[in-house]
Amino acid sequence: MRTRIVTAGAPKAQLAVAAAAMLIALALKQHYSDARADDLLWVLTPTAQLAGAMTGSPFTLQPGEGYLSRERLFLIEKSCAGVNFMIAAFGMLVFALFHRARTAVSAGSVLAVSLIAGYMAAVVVNAVRIAMAMWLAAHPVALSISSAAVHRLEGILVYFCGLMLLYEAVQRLDRRAPHWSGR
Amino acid sequence: MSGPRAHIVAALRRAAVPLAAYYAVTLALPLANGAAFAGARFAVHAMMVLVVPPAAIVLVCGCYALGRACLRAATSAAPAARHQ
Repeated sequence: MRTRIVTAGAPKAQLAVAAAAMLIALALKQHYSDARADDLLWVLTPTAQLAGAMTGSPFTLQPGEGYLSRERLFLIEKSCAGVNFMIAAFGMLVFALFHRARTAVSAGSVLAVSLIAGYMAAVVVNAVRIAMAMWLAAHPVALSISSAAVHRLEGILVYFCGLMLLYEAVQRLDRRAPHWSGR
Repeated sequence: MSGPRAHIVAALRRAAVPLAAYYAVTLALPLANGAAFAGARFAVHAMMVLVVPPAAIVLVCGCYALGRACLRAATSAAPAARHQ
């Protein structure tokens, strides 16, 4: 059975983590709503590079629009940035690691780990989604649903599977890793 | 409760946190921002987002249970065939 050491400052640290996580998620959402494609290069650039490496078709930056694959005529625009996935992953990771926030340092670590892992997961999962979308566009299947619906269905499945895999991975690592002392 | 139903319930329980995070971002946040006024377009999106992930879990669990049942049937039939 797992034991959890509770210190006197734990409720305060956990309250701070919950409040900070909420603020970070809302700030990310606000930034995403207001941003143009050029403001999202911090997530579009690594995603485009990874998707380009996966598909073998390089993406080039189109100022104001996003990243374009001229070869496949596929544009990674603002709506493909994966920021919503990043927010979901960040919130989920904070929830999964919440019990580790017992001191100011461990609370900061929970937020930092969740933010970095959420960002990395968003880049990888989004690149996989884009690579699959490009493959599906190149190999159309004769279905009774539209290509837009196939694209939406693929997005839902890839994002949800990505969240599931990330949650399983963090649960396993959390069980193995020692508690952060924060001293 | 046993068999495929137990697998499905366990998988849904395991997926509760990722599912909640996904629904929060794809449904709760847009609804809070007034997406409900977008009408049929948002309704279609919401329906797909609500139905597809649990349906995928049920489908995967069903395939897993079916695969296991086939494997069990094959392994129990093999010694019987060897005895004949």
